[in-house]
Amino acid sequence: MAAGVTDMTSITSRKERSVSATLAAATCALLGTTAAAPVDAQEEPKWDFNTSLLYYGEDESRVQDMSLKSIIRRLFADDRTLTLGLTVDGLTGATPSGAIRQDVPQSFTRPSGSGSYVVPAGELPLDDTFKDTRVAITAGWQQPAGEKGLLSVGFSASKEYDYLHTGVNASYAHDFNNRNTTISAGFAFASDSIEPVGGAPIPFTNMLDVGDTSNRVGDQDKDVLDVVFGVSQVISKNLLVQANYSFSQSDGYLNNPYKVLSMVDSVSGDTLTRTPGIEGGPSGIFLFESRPDERTQHSVYTQAKYFMNGKVLDASYRYMTDDWEIDSHTLDVRYRWPIGDSSYIEPHVRYYTQTEAEFYRLSLVDDSLVPLPQFASSDYRLGNFDAITAGLKYGWKTRNDNDMSIRVEWYTQSGTVPAGQLIGNQASRDNYPDLNALIVQFSYRFSR
Amino acid sequence: MGSPCEVLTDGGDKQLAGRLSSLVASEAWRIEDKFSRYLDGNVIQRINTAHGEPVEVDAETGNLLDFAATLFDISGGSFDITSGVLRAVWTFDGSDNIPAQDDIDKVLGRVGWQRVTWADSQLTMQPGMEVDLGGIGKEYAVDRCTALARSAANVPVMINFGGDLAVTSPPVSRQSWKVGIEGPNVDSAEKLVDLRQGALATSGDARRFLLRNGVRYSHILDPRTGWSVPDAPASITVAADTCTQAGMMSTLAMLRGAAAEEFLAAQELLHWCRR
Repeated sequence: MAAGVTDMTSITSRKERSVSATLAAATCALLGTTAAAPVDAQEEPKWDFNTSLLYYGEDESRVQDMSLKSIIRRLFADDRTLTLGLTVDGLTGATPSGAIRQDVPQSFTRPSGSGSYVVPAGELPLDDTFKDTRVAITAGWQQPAGEKGLLSVGFSASKEYDYLHTGVNASYAHDFNNRNTTISAGFAFASDSIEPVGGAPIPFTNMLDVGDTSNRVGDQDKDVLDVVFGVSQVISKNLLVQANYSFSQSDGYLNNPYKVLSMVDSVSGDTLTRTPGIEGGPSGIFLFESRPDERTQHSVYTQAKYFMNGKVLDASYRYMTDDWEIDSHTLDVRYRWPIGDSSYIEPHVRYYTQTEAEFYRLSLVDDSLVPLPQFASSDYRLGNFDAITAGLKYGWKTRNDNDMSIRVEWYTQSGTVPAGQLIGNQASRDNYPDLNALIVQFSYRFSR
Repeated sequence: MGSPCEVLTDGGDKQLAGRLSSLVASEAWRIEDKFSRYLDGNVIQRINTAHGEPVEVDAETGNLLDFAATLFDISGGSFDITSGVLRAVWTFDGSDNIPAQDDIDKVLGRVGWQRVTWADSQLTMQPGMEVDLGGIGKEYAVDRCTALARSAANVPVMINFGGDLAVTSPPVSRQSWKVGIEGPNVDSAEKLVDLRQGALATSGDARRFLLRNGVRYSHILDPRTGWSVPDAPASITVAADTCTQAGMMSTLAMLRGAAAEEFLAAQELLHWCRR
C-alpha cells in the first residue's frame, strides 16, 4: 500500500511540474520574448542567531576566561533591525597585585580583608582571589532615517560581583555620492558603579592587617563619554576605506581597587618590611594605587578592505593618545582566503605598542626628602609594553547553509620598566610581568 | 489597472525618471484601454456584444486568447476567462448572501471556454457569454512595461502595479530589491523578499468573502461548478521569471483550494501561501 501511495504522489508531482513548463512556453509566446534572466529571489531571513564560545587562558595559572556570547538579530520590514546580545563570562585565576618581587617570602591581606596569602621568595606577587562571573546584555535598534540616513540607538548593561555598568548609545550615518561615501557620528555614555570587595581603599593608604577596614570607603562610580566621527569611502569596486576619530572622556573613580605599589628603601630598592598582625597581614609596606579622576583619550582609526576575487585583505591602524601620556599604536592585518565554495581560512596578525602612563611607577620610594607623587600605579597595563597576537581562523558553511568557524590565536605581551625607575636590587630582577595567552573561539551562526 | 502603479529606478536623473514614467504610463493605459471590460469601444466589448457572431481580433488580442486557452487546458478548466458572468450572482461584500443553486445554474450555462470557438483569429461565443482578461491583463502589462523599461533605461528599474511587479536587473546601489509581502495587517510587511531578478505576483484578497454558518466563501470561483473554491488560501505570492508566470501560478494555486500548497511545492518556485 505504501509503495502505491508513493507512486501516485510522484506521478502527481510530475504532472504538476509540467504546468510550469507549459506556462513558461505560453508566456514566452504571449510576450514574444523569453525572460531576460531567470528569477533570483529569496526570502530575507527574519532572525539571525550568532553564538560563540570563547576560551581565553593566560599561562602560569593567571586569568582564565570562559565566555559564552549570543547575539540575536530580528529583521523587520523597511530595514529596521533589533539586536539583542547576552554574554556570560566565568573568570578565574590570579592577577599581578602590583607589588614587586622580593628575595624573601611576602605576605598580603586579601582584598576582602578577611584573610591573607603568601608569595614565595623571588616570585611575582599574584592575587589569586580573582574569580568573577560577568553577565552583560545589549539591546540595539537600527532604522533608516530618511532615504539616505541610518539611525541606531542602543542600551548596554553588565554586572559583575563588584561592578555594575549601564550605558546608552546612539549614532547616525548618512550616505552621499550614490552611497559611495558614508559619514557617521555617534556617542556612547556609560555610568558605572564599582563596589570593590571589602570596600574601596583610600588611595595611598597602606594595605592593613586582616580585619582592619579603617581605610575602606563605600561604593565608587565613574562616567565615560565616547564620541566618534567617521567617514567611509568606496574607492573602487575592490577597495573600501574608512577613517574614524574618537574622543573619550572618563570621570570619577578610575583606580583599580585591588592594585598596590611596594614602598621601597631608597638605596636597596627592597620593600620596607613590617610585622603582620596576629591574624595575618602584609609583611611589607604596600600602598593602594592612586590614579587621576579623569582621563581624556583621542584616537584615530583607519581601515582599508581590499577585495580580490573572493579574497579579502583587511588592514587597520589605530593611534591613540591620552592625557595620562599613554600613546599607543595598533596595526591589525587579516586576510580571508576562500577554500572551495564553502570554506575559508583567515590568518590574523596584530601588533600593539604603548608608552607608559606618566604616573606609572614600579614602586614608591621611602624618602623623607622626596614627597610621594600625586598619582602612582604599577598596573602592568599602564606600563610600556608591546603585544603581538597571531592566529588563524577557519570558517565553513554547514550543509544547511549555517556558518561555523573556529579561531585559534596566541597573544604575547612583554614590557619594560623605564631604567630610571629601577633602584638598587630592582635592576637585577625581572620587574615587568610578561604575559602569554591562548585564545580559542568557536562560533556558530544561523538565520531563519 | 485598478491599483497604484509605480516605476522605481536605482540611480538615473530626473529626466530619465520623467521619460520612463511617461513611457510606462502610456503602455499601461494602452493595455487598459484596449482590454478593460469596463470600457466602451474596445476589442473586449466587441467580443462581449457580438451576439453569437464571429469577431475577428488583432494579433495581440489573439496572443492573449491563445494564452487563456492554454491556461484553461493546464488548469483542467478551472482557469476560464468566460467565468466573469458568475459575478451576477456572487457579491463578496462580507455578508452571508450566498446565492441559491438555481441562480447559479442559470448563469452557469453561459460559462465555459469549451463552448467558445477560437480559431484563425476569430472568436465565436454564444449570446450572453462574456470574456474578461482582467485575470491576465495586469501581469501582462507589468511584463510589457518591464521590457520597455529595459530597453529605454541604462539603470535598474522596477515596475510595480499594485504589488504585481518585475525588475529589469539587480540594483547597483545595494544587493537586491527589497519587497515586502503584506500579512493580515496591511500596514506592515510580514515577509521581506530580496529580489535580484524576475518578478513577484500575488493572488487573493482576504477582504472579499462571504460568511454563512461559520463557513467562509472566498471570492475565488470555480467556473466548473459556479461555487466558491472551498479552503482557498487568503493570499498566495509567487516568484517567477516573469510577472505573467508568477501571477498565473498564484491564480492556478488559488483555484486548487485546500491543495494549493501541494501544487505550489511541486512547481519548485519560491512562494508564500497565507491562510
